[in-house]
Parts: sequence; structure tokens; C-alpha cells
Amino acid sequence: MARQNGANEDYVRPIRRLAVSVLILCLFAVFVLWRIDSPRAERFRAQLVDWVVPNMEWAMVPVTETVKLVRGFQSYAALQRQNRDLRNELQQMKAWKEAALQLEQENAKLLDLNRVRLDPALTVITGQVLADSGSPFRQSVLLNVGGERDGIKDGWAVTDGLGLVGRISGVGEKSSRVLLLTDNTSRVPVTIQPSGQRAMLSGDNSILPALDFIEDVDEVRPGDRVVSSGDGGVFPAGLLVGNVVLARDGRLRLRLAADYERLEFLRVLRSQPTDAIDAPLELIGPVMPLPATTAEVEEATDG
Amino acid sequence: MADAPSGFWGYRVLFVLLASLLVFIQLLPLDPGPGQFPGPDILLLLALFWTVVRPALLPVWLLAVVFLASDLLLMRPPGLWTALAILGCEFLRSRRAVLRNAPFPVEWALLAVVITAMTVANALILSIFAVPQPSFGLTVIRMVFTIAVYPLVVILAGRAIGLSKPRGEREALGVRR
Repeated sequence: MARQNGANEDYVRPIRRLAVSVLILCLFAVFVLWRIDSPRAERFRAQLVDWVVPNMEWAMVPVTETVKLVRGFQSYAALQRQNRDLRNELQQMKAWKEAALQLEQENAKLLDLNRVRLDPALTVITGQVLADSGSPFRQSVLLNVGGERDGIKDGWAVTDGLGLVGRISGVGEKSSRVLLLTDNTSRVPVTIQPSGQRAMLSGDNSILPALDFIEDVDEVRPGDRVVSSGDGGVFPAGLLVGNVVLARDGRLRLRLAADYERLEFLRVLRSQPTDAIDAPLELIGPVMPLPATTAEVEEATDG
Repeated sequence: MADAPSGFWGYRVLFVLLASLLVFIQLLPLDPGPGQFPGPDILLLLALFWTVVRPALLPVWLLAVVFLASDLLLMRPPGLWTALAILGCEFLRSRRAVLRNAPFPVEWALLAVVITAMTVANALILSIFAVPQPSFGLTVIRMVFTIAVYPLVVILAGRAIGLSKPRGEREALGVRR
């Protein structure tokens, strides 16, 4: 019996080692494939996440809410102080609100005078945050609105109502992933407002993403407003992103306007794709009409 | 191998359950956004501990499936960390004769070496393939944290699940009872 076992071992061990080596090679091949054909691999990942995470929602929601409740109790002590501060702030805000109302009326009048039509295509879809990225090195959240059901597309901008949060990167059937501005791989072209400087907002896993490639650093001051510039057609222009701050490391960074501590409901902006130019003939001039319909065309151009 | 002892599958199912629980906790949308301290990689610790204590109860294929799933769900480059975890576990498995009688500090030191090697290899391969990586400091913090937490995992797992090093002759199959 014992010897038989031993004999078995002699066969099993090399086979096992071979199997393990093959397995590791396969896994490495998966990694290399992911590196080579990242979009396809990421689509597969999005499908898997789409399949798994919404199924866990029934368990996730109660746990999340319970933890939030406990945290709420812990912050009870700070509540009174916060209340007082908020009252003060409210007082100041009322003055601002008055100013804003006046400005709004003025703006409406001016728009009416100029007969400006606001773009009706810029509508939003609101989604709820389902899950975190799960890793401290990846800054993304999962929304419960997806491609097939809600028509979400890759690349659309996401805000929390106040400021830009990130963009859609990876769409499943019922869920979609939002790459936050703070992610290592996030790059967004922005404009720094009073001076009109163009810059690139690049996330680096910290709460304050860095502003790179500023044309003239001297013209930028901490506190300047930063909006998306719309360069490259990634985002609609003019979305508020945040304010410039001078970080402790001496770099110009951005304090985000969106409340990253409380990402709960996010708005996905439906951007319209720019029209593709696929009809070069019509661009050059009217297409030569067919002999039968010549009269009709002439009539149309006359009218 | 032929006569699978009772609890053989139980421990496997338990491992899968624990792994899914860990992934579930990490996916909870409690603190989205950056600024958190990177916590320890408990799933890796669990796999390594399981390998040290009961190599027979954690087959390689199960390890591969669990780690690949966590790679995909937690937005890591798929496959690489799985391959490294399997290599680490196989290394520990091949040293099980040494580990069985080693005192705890030796075991801990060996694990620290394995975890460090895995982290370095991961960073190296990612940089060779030009994959964007988190900053070096964060990675090191996570690694040190992971190593530091190992005794806690040993105590918790030992108390709660009843996993501990087998003593005497009964460990031939690596199973208690």
C-alpha cells in the first residue's frame, strides 16, 4: 500500500509540476493578451463585472447603508458645531442667492434679446453608484446605468451636478464604469478661467490631481476656476472642474468641485457625436441630378 | 489521494466563500475616491497561510480561478498577479517540510520574502510592459502592511476556522480529524 502510494507520487509529481508550469504560462499569456488587445479584454471584464456586481446589490446596499448609519452616529458630536457653521454660511449664501437671482433674470433677458437657443441635445441620465473599484490604486466607480438599457456610451462625461467627476470607460448591459479624474490614467484637457490658459488635468491617485502643460504658469493663481476645454472632443466645453491650488510639493494642482467623499448619484451627460463627414460629393456641390428628377430639383432650389 | 477525507471539500468551499467575502468588502462603495491608505492584501495572505498550513486543501486550479476572478473584478491587469500568487504558493509548498517544524518567526520571514519578491516581480513586469502603475510609495506601503498583518491572519484563521499547523504524524494527508 505504502509502496503503491510512493509509486503514485513518482508519477504524480512531475505531471503536477508540468501542469502548474502550463497554468502559469497560460496566465501569463492572458496578461500579454490583455496588454496587446486591451479594448477587447476590458470589454470582457466589463461584461463579467456587469454579470457579477448587480447580482450582489441586494447584499451590498444594506451593508453600505448600515456602515453609513454607524458613521453618522459617530459624527453626532460634530453635528452641533457643524450646524452653527452652516447657519453662518447660509446667511452669507442668502446674499449670494439674491445676487444670483438678479443675474439670472438679467441673463434670461439678454438671452432672449439675442434669441439664443440652448442645445437641447445636452440631456443627462442619472445613475446610482453600485460599487467601488475595489483597489486603492484604481479610481473608478460602477454606475447602475448601462449601455444596452440606457444608451450609455464610452467617453461620455459624468458630473455630480456641480462639478466634473470623470468619464465613462467601460460599458456593460446594466452597468457602466466611471473613470474618476483622480485615476492614474485620467487625462482631461481644461481651461483655467480668467487667464484662458490651456492645461492638462492628469490624475495621480491623490485627491488633488495635477495640472500639467500650462502654457504660462505665471498667469495662473491659486483660486482660479478651471473648466473643461472641450479640446479633442472628449468632453463638452465649459463644465466646471474645480479650483487651482498650490500644493505642498510646489506644483499647481486642482481642488475638485465635485464632492468625491460622497459619490452617490452621478449624472452622465449625453454628448452628441460630432457629425462624421462621409458624403464628400455633397460637400463639394449639389450632386448631378438624374435626368428624370431634374425638374423637381430645380423647383426645390427655387423655393 | 484516493480516499478524500471529510472536510476536504468543506475547506475548499470555505476558501472560496472567504475570498468572495473579501472581494465583496473591497467592492463596497463606502469611500470612493482617493486619499485612502492602501490596506493589506488579505486574500493573498489567506492563500499563503492556507498553503503553509494545509497544502493539500488548496489545489492550484482553485487558486487560479479565485485569483483570476479577483484580478478581473478589482481592475488589476488580469493573469499577472494570479501567476505570481501561484508561483509564491508553489514555492511555499515545496518548502513545506521545512515550514512544518519551523518556529513562527522563520515562517513569517519566509512569507515576507515571498511577498516582497512577488511585489517586485509584479512592478518589474508591469514596467517592462509599460503598463501605468501606482506610485512606488503606495505599493511599498501596501506590501509592508500586508506583511505586518500576517500574524493577525494566523491568529484569526486559527481561532475562527480551526486552521493550524498539524502536529505529529497525522499530517500525512495534511488534514485534521
